[in-house]
This record gives sequence, structure tokens and C-alpha cells, in this order.
Amino acid sequence: MENKRKYVIPGDVITTGPYRPEQNVILDGNKIISTTIGISEIFDDSIKVIPLTGKYIPKIDDLVIGKVISHTSLSWELDINSCYVGFLPAQDVFGRDFSAHADELTSKLKSGDLVAARIANFDRTRDPLVTIADRDLGKIDSGELVKISPSKVPRLIGKRGSMIQMIEIATGAAVTIGQNGWIVISAETPEGLLKAKKAIQMVDEKAHVANLTDQVKEMLESKGES
Amino acid sequence: MGGRDTTLVLLDENGIRCDGRKVDEPRRIMIKAGGLKNADGSAYIEFGDNKILVGVFGPRDVHPKHMSNTDTGILRVRYHMEPFSVTERKNPAPSRREIEISKVIKEALEPAVMLEKFPRTAVDVFIEVLQADGGTRCAALSAASVALADAGIPMRDMVAACAAGKAADTIILDVNNEEDQAGQADMPIGYMPSLEKITLLQLDGILSPAEYKKCVETGIHGCKIVYELQKKALTDKYFGNGEK
Amino acid sequence: MTSTTVIDDLKKSQILELLEQGKRVDGRALDEPRKLVIEVNAIPKANGSARVRLGDSEVVCGVKIQPDRPFPDMGDKGIFICTAELLPLSHPTVETGPPGPDVIELARVVDRGIRESHMIDLSQLVIEKNKSVVGVFVDNVVVDYDGNLFDACAYAATAALLSSKSPKWEMKNDVPTLVEGGESDVPITTIPVSVTMGKIGNHIIVDPNGDEWDSMDARITITTDSNGNICALQKGGTGGFSFDEVIKCGELSVKVGSKIREKLKQAKEGE
Repeated sequence: MENKRKYVIPGDVITTGPYRPEQNVILDGNKIISTTIGISEIFDDSIKVIPLTGKYIPKIDDLVIGKVISHTSLSWELDINSCYVGFLPAQDVFGRDFSAHADELTSKLKSGDLVAARIANFDRTRDPLVTIADRDLGKIDSGELVKISPSKVPRLIGKRGSMIQMIEIATGAAVTIGQNGWIVISAETPEGLLKAKKAIQMVDEKAHVANLTDQVKEMLESKGES
Repeated sequence: MGGRDTTLVLLDENGIRCDGRKVDEPRRIMIKAGGLKNADGSAYIEFGDNKILVGVFGPRDVHPKHMSNTDTGILRVRYHMEPFSVTERKNPAPSRREIEISKVIKEALEPAVMLEKFPRTAVDVFIEVLQADGGTRCAALSAASVALADAGIPMRDMVAACAAGKAADTIILDVNNEEDQAGQADMPIGYMPSLEKITLLQLDGILSPAEYKKCVETGIHGCKIVYELQKKALTDKYFGNGEK
Repeated sequence: MTSTTVIDDLKKSQILELLEQGKRVDGRALDEPRKLVIEVNAIPKANGSARVRLGDSEVVCGVKIQPDRPFPDMGDKGIFICTAELLPLSHPTVETGPPGPDVIELARVVDRGIRESHMIDLSQLVIEKNKSVVGVFVDNVVVDYDGNLFDACAYAATAALLSSKSPKWEMKNDVPTLVEGGESDVPITTIPVSVTMGKIGNHIIVDPNGDEWDSMDARITITTDSNGNICALQKGGTGGFSFDEVIKCGELSVKVGSKIREKLKQAKEGE
């Protein structure tokens, strides 16, 4: 109990005893074993591992950044940096009176376009259904796409948004974070863009470090070299 | 290839092997996690003179679609040798040997990976042997396990691998190319150290029941040495210059 | 092979926008190739080898030298064969199986650059005329992809050949037999260097990276030899070049090529 947080890899026995196994751990006899690379945490009677790598697994209501990769006459397919392709039906964009004959899908979205989307539905049996019909969703017209490991998104957001707010305020950039690890940065100045990019890459590389907020802050406050 | 060196002494009077090792000593092993930019996970291993690169993609969409399984993700493994990896230039087309090794490595990894969380997907493991020197399948399996962990594929345990064998009537750890050619037995072993399960086991050669037992024990001992290096490779990549 | 990748439109317009200001996405000058790292003898068991990283494109090349039968009409010349393969671990879109047209073109362009420069003096690789000659097999495998594989493979092949040691054979009882201690350098007459340039809008850029490769309208690969002569060329892509552009590309290939040639020489000397 004295050592609550530990760095673990798959197969590492985190502890033995009457604990409840939660995310990314399995129970083998009385051994609790990590199934991924990450940081183990013991809370009261439960154990979980916060992963440091791995693909994005869609969750309903998640905001994601997607890239249009193809379309049929009825829907678009989005790369959402996941094990599954995001499925965006034409009705979501054209409305209920969509007609496959009259409406040309490429008039609204074509391959290579980036969109901010929300996961509308997902289960084990079919590909995730996404929607862009909401405020703040839809085609992204400006900014730069940056990719980080999806497992590090919570760290980038920080406690109640503290990390990302700090980055936005210091750089004057507007950052849209997809839970899938794809991030779009728009900034007033090229310097602000560079600095915001650097800060985000720093979080990606050093997510396991305890005083990360201080390190990012120091970098953001430093002048000149970037 | 070519005539065997009949003058080769596999084990001298002091118990030293033809490459200077003791009977229970593995060759030099170096493992690095990561290194490839496009792969979801990767690893590089040097095991003696073997040099092997592994890249992992997935879980991802399955092509062709009919191979996908609606209940679970599937694991696909390709073991491939470069034309320049062996003494005589190898034909680039896959050989029967490469196809069999791909299969045994896949089946050695399957008990470890947990793909039931990703129905209709595939995880692809691509093993590229840049230089071969006996024991490639064990080195490849050990590196593949590191690459899978690097890709974040959920795993019940790592799989570490090492061969044991018999040469000059003695059970030896980590059979090299000369010992494989001129020795009496070669037994590659893949092992999950925490779950204490053997997931790859083959044997070429003749062993008494007592030697058989000793050989398995020796091989597992080798797997545990490899496991520590796998662990170090992943720790260096993910927890390097951070405080414990 | 990357025809199935879709570059995001924002990146594409950013690349063009920057070029209008004379800048590139990764901060390079228009005529500046990426960082080139060459490690020779990476595969000690091969007769020669190199591991080359051009930006984030990486190639391992191994040379195997062994006796072979000559081609029927070329009994007084050794054999030179150069291949290139994209390994499936180099990019998510690469599939196993027979190579597609892009990869076949890649292998042929790399082969032609070396062959047409007469880099290797094949007339010195004859064991017995019309019967047995020395074959030099140069196999390139791509392990990581970030655009411009033409140059990455060509530099790997050239570096590997420069570092190669050829065994020696003599005919004994009509069989080529290895002569102990007869190792020597492969007979090299010149050092060919290819320079690949992309055209985006009206801009010519040297050594396009992956994003630039996916954005460009046309490309041209020009190989020059140690004397600064042009010895092989391949135009590709759906766009075209004007006369002036083709001449400019020729000049660029000589200028950039001479710097790369120095790097290849240094890599051999530092082996």
C-alpha cells in the first residue's frame, strides 16, 4: 500500500490480495497483472492502469477529429485514428429529405477534409456512427493537425482543463482536442502556433512525468528559441 | 551450406563452447523498443549475430473482409528473411520454412494477446530478419512481444523466448548456428514469465527423458534472462528520464 | 503504394501557401535535401551493406556477391542486379504479395541509375569467359517511409557497393572455386548520385518528404556521375515540366548531387 503508483508493463504483477481489478488489469489466482504499459493506481479496494500507448477506442459522446477518406452515395467514411472507421451518414449533413439522386456528397465534404465530429453510436457489432450536426462540429477550415497518442489526451487536457488552458493563454492559440489524439491548432501568429505545437508534443513525450505542468509552464514562459 | 567443419570443437575440456561461452550463458542480447515512425509499435533485437526488426499495426480494419471475425480481433504474423540475411542470397519469395515459422510464432503470441476486445479487426505483426545466425525464431518472438506491447495491444503477459539444446553430450543454453548444424539437439522455447506458461516448444534431435527435463529447465532460465531485457527496453522507452 | 493515403487538405494548402513565400513545411530551403545518415556495414554477413535514413525514410541495403552463369549474349561481363522492396512494416498501406507498379518503377529507377553510370566495371567480374562470372546482387528493403524512396534507395545501394568486399574465384575442374584471402574492393569507376525533385504549383523542391510527395503534381529523378554528367533520368506523376524547368532540374541535380557524393565517400572512409 505504501507504493501506490507504479510504472508497469504487460505481465507485471502489481500486487496480490483482495482488490477489485478495473481497467487494463487481469486477475490470475490472487495476482493482479497489468495488461499494458502504463502507471498503476490503487484506490481503496480497486486497481487500474492508466495506459501510455494504444489505439483510440470510440466511446459514445466523445469529440473526435476525423479525416474524410472516401464516400459512397449514402455516407462518408472517416479516418478517426481508431481500430474502426467512422461512419457519417448523408442525412446527418443534408437533413432528412436527403436524396441520393439529387444531392452530391462531395459538394459538402470531400476526401482530405478534416471534421470535428461526435461519436453518436458504437457497439461491438458495427462501426462507430458519427455526427457533425451540432454546435462546434463540422468541417474545419483552418489550423494545423497535430497527432499525439490517444492515451495521453487526458494529460493534455489536465485537471478541469488546466493544462490546455495554460497552453492556450500563453500562446494565443485555439486548440480543438479530439479524444482520438488528433488535435487542431489555430493561432494568430506563427510563433504562437510553433509554441503551442511544442507544448503539445512535450505532453505527448513526457506524460508519465510527475511535474509535467511545471516543465510545460517553464517552456511556455521561455523567450526566443523555439 | 557447404561442407561441415569437422574439426570444430563444440565444447572444450574447460567447458567452454566454440564461441567462448559457458554452457549456461546466452549470446549478447540487445533489445530496443520503438524506432519506426509509421508502425503502431516496433522493436529491434540483436541476439548474437541475429538482427531482426519487428513492426506492429493495429488493431485495424481487416482486408480481405471475409477473414474478419465478428467475435474477436485476429492476429496475423509474417516472418520474412531479407535476401542478404543469409550466406547464400535467398530468393525473396516466401519459403515453406518461413511460412511454418510465421505460424508457430503466431501461436506462441496468441495466448498472450487479448483481442476479444476488438471484434472485426486484425493485428498485424511483420518480422523482418536482416541478418540470420541461428535461433531467429526465438529472437523474433521476443522482439514481436516487445513491439506488441509498444503498440498498446492488451496482453496477459510478455512472451520471452530462448533455445536450449545439446552439443557434445551436454545441455547448453542458446544454441548458435554452428551448434545447431553440428550439435545433437535444438529446442526453441517461448515462455510467459508471470503466468508460467510455455507457448512455443519445438525440438530437433534426440534427448533422454532426463536430458529433456534439463533442456526445458535450461530454456526457461534463458527466457527469464530475455524477459529482463524486454522489460528494460520498454522501461527505457516509456519511463526514461522520469522519476520512479 | 501511398496512393491510398489521403493527405489532409489543410496540410496541402499550407504546403502551397508556404511555397508561395519561398518556404517549406519543415523549414528547409527549396533546394535542400533532408538530413542523410549513412551507416555502412550494418549487415556484417553480407559482402557489403548500408543502413540509410533520409529524413524519416529508412532503407537497409545488402550486397551479395557470388558466382553465376553469364547472360547468353554477355559472356564477357559480370552480372549486376538491383532490387527494391517496400517491407510491410514501413507503412500501414503496404501490403504483402507481389509488388505494384510504383514499387517496380522504384526498383527499376534505382537499378538504372547505377547501371547506366557504369559504376561497377563489369568486365572485371569474369571468372571464365562465357562460362562463369561474378554476380553482384544489391537488395534494398524499405523499413520506414516518409517520401522520396528513389534517393533513399539509391544512396543505400551506392553506399553498400562502395563498402563491398568481393571474394575471388578461380575455375578448377570447370567449377568456380573460392580463392582464400583473395578479397578486394568491387571495381568502381564512378559514384552515381540521384536527386529527386518534386513540382508543386510552379515550385521545384529537392527531396520531397511524405506530405510533399502526396501533394506534388510531378516529379523528376536525375542521376549524375562523378564527372557531373547526367546518366539517367525518370519523370513521373501526372503533371508536366516546361523546358526551363527541366534545365533547372538538371543543374540542381549536379549541384545537390556533388554534396551528397562527398557524404557517400565519407561514409565509406569512416567505415
